[in-house]
Amino acid sequence: MTKSIHLTLAAVGVLAVAACASGSGGNGGGSSSGPVGVVQIAAYSGDQAFEAQFSASIDYPALYAVNHGGGVLGRQVSLIQVDTRSDPADALAAMGKTLATTGNVAAVLGPDSTSAATLVPLLNTRHLPMMIAAGEAAYDRSSYAYLWRDVPPDPANGEAIALWAKRQGYTSVATVFGTDTGSQGDLPGVLTGVKAVGVRLADQENLTPDQPSYRSSVERLLAAKPQAVITESDGPTAATFFGELRQLGSLLPIIGTSGTPSDSYFSPLRGAIGDAAFGTYFRAVVVGNPVSNPAVAAFNADVLAVQGKLSKPVSQWENNSFSESGYDAMITLALAMDAAHSTDGTAYNNDIMAVTAPAAGKEIVYTYAAGRAALAAGHKIQYIGASGPLLFDKYHNSFGSQAVEKFPANAPAVVVGTITQAQVQALNG
Amino acid sequence: MLILQALGFGVVSAALIAIGAMGFTLQFGLTNVLNISYGGVMTVGAFAAFGAGELHLPMALEVAAAPLAAALLTWLLGRTLFAFYARRGAGVFEMVMVTLAVSLILQYGIDAASGEQIYRFSFPQGASLHAGVFTFTVTQLVLVALALAVFGGLEFLLRRTRLGKALRAMAVEPRLARTCGIPTGKIVNVVWLLSGALAGLAGLGYVINSLTIDASVGTGFLPLVLAAAILGRAGSTRGAVLAALLLGLVTEEVAAAGGAEYSTVAGFGILAIVLLTRPAALAGQATAKAEITV
Repeated sequence: MTKSIHLTLAAVGVLAVAACASGSGGNGGGSSSGPVGVVQIAAYSGDQAFEAQFSASIDYPALYAVNHGGGVLGRQVSLIQVDTRSDPADALAAMGKTLATTGNVAAVLGPDSTSAATLVPLLNTRHLPMMIAAGEAAYDRSSYAYLWRDVPPDPANGEAIALWAKRQGYTSVATVFGTDTGSQGDLPGVLTGVKAVGVRLADQENLTPDQPSYRSSVERLLAAKPQAVITESDGPTAATFFGELRQLGSLLPIIGTSGTPSDSYFSPLRGAIGDAAFGTYFRAVVVGNPVSNPAVAAFNADVLAVQGKLSKPVSQWENNSFSESGYDAMITLALAMDAAHSTDGTAYNNDIMAVTAPAAGKEIVYTYAAGRAALAAGHKIQYIGASGPLLFDKYHNSFGSQAVEKFPANAPAVVVGTITQAQVQALNG
Repeated sequence: MLILQALGFGVVSAALIAIGAMGFTLQFGLTNVLNISYGGVMTVGAFAAFGAGELHLPMALEVAAAPLAAALLTWLLGRTLFAFYARRGAGVFEMVMVTLAVSLILQYGIDAASGEQIYRFSFPQGASLHAGVFTFTVTQLVLVALALAVFGGLEFLLRRTRLGKALRAMAVEPRLARTCGIPTGKIVNVVWLLSGALAGLAGLGYVINSLTIDASVGTGFLPLVLAAAILGRAGSTRGAVLAALLLGLVTEEVAAAGGAEYSTVAGFGILAIVLLTRPAALAGQATAKAEITV
């Protein structure tokens, strides 16, 4: 008898929670007073917990910009961190719990590739505008009305690399990728791009990370005689491989994916091949074309303002294209809410396009504060962010140009070339 | 051509594995402690050398710092923590868990102390020398020579000295050895120090070769060391060296044949096959009822 009562209570409880979590209609942007909640969905634990430091480099500078710029509709923005635990099922449960227990969620940053498949449908049903960080091709032409993406689809970076290789006159390249998930995730785009531009793939090396030596792989790569190497791996693996390449033969031009520029990659590789060789041979094709505009200065200033909350060295986040894209995402969402005079997703979703698309007569703004002031003055605006203009297509995708950078010792990255969104899209017909 | 070249690379890899495996098998054979913290000790040794290098100490001190620090740490762990648990009746399995805990503490302790960073390990590599199809750097040849010297030294110690005879006697039958008046405490001390020093040398060799250092270098290297020690039969330095050579050659040959991503898997595949077809390879090694001698 007692057992059946417990079962009944449990069933009622589960049904109640489910009803709260899956109720139809939007989250409504929460209450019309109090802080405006912006959810950051990321892996704060599990095997992809490294995402947390990237998320921090987006969230805290952007929060600082918005809140010190007057807040959204005069209300402060609060950050709600939802931990995916690096697992899509856990992500769904965590998001459902957040939506059921938090009434003020107005927008979402994320989800990432790990949890997009489970969370995008849920968030779309709840009419919550989301700026996803998932590069899957499935979202290139998605029908989710509340899905927005200001980072390139996964293949785009690889295709840009192939275009750069072609532009350099290389007719034969090799790929050297770690067997870790992150590196392998970017490999198909590179292979697709190399094939599409008609460059010969001379050799393909997949390296198990953290081995004491890759000499045999190095020799095979040298025997294939590529003119350049396209690569992504963790830093120590790269250091060992390219250090041995230097010992056994001679260095080749190295083109890194957008996954390579970070201190944890550069430091060991610089040590292995030397600063001078690194500056000479290494290039990376990075997401976002570093631009020189007031938004970049504002972003860097905001990074420094919250540096105590970011992982060290803080310089790795300044001019960081990934962080800039996320920063722009939050400011765009906030400006859209201001433009619509509402934090309700159904009300402001269309204004995301309105505050970013270029048009005659619009006032161009580079910061949240300037955008908010212009909107308050009754002007139409185009926000141009630290990652450049956000030019969303009808599928809500904007990934702009990609930059080819070199990295001199003790100096900021230098842009040596640009691959435009149009060039990448032309490759796909 | 590449297959031939890979033989040379395999010898270098084998030398690195062998140094670690000889230390591991020596300690495991005598104490019956499957010491998972050996990987952490390798990291400590490597970081000791790294620290000496950062202090711009002479290269001899930089090199010596690795075995010295690792030997001291191993001895301390063996005589305090492991001895404590052994006195409380911990069996083979319980001791594995203790060493696993120590390994995690060492790894994450170093991780915290090093600021969770990956550092370059600067060490002169010397010129590249060519002999037929083979290419080696001077440092790689030194590492191979070091492995051979360690092997020769251990063989001499174990087979030609009273200490070695006592050590072998203890490995076979510790109670009888004690009854015969062998100073088991002193022997165990020597083994802790010796195996620790070899762990430090192995860690140093690893970072010299890979050119980078972080908190996980030892734990990442441990599986290969462990495989060689098990494959070579616990307590057998000859077996450890032969097994290391086999693992080194197989991993490099598989990589040369186009399967770099499967090279490590191939090494462990051999271990699995040997254990399946020749389980007696583990005969004489630790069992749940074996005596812990620390």
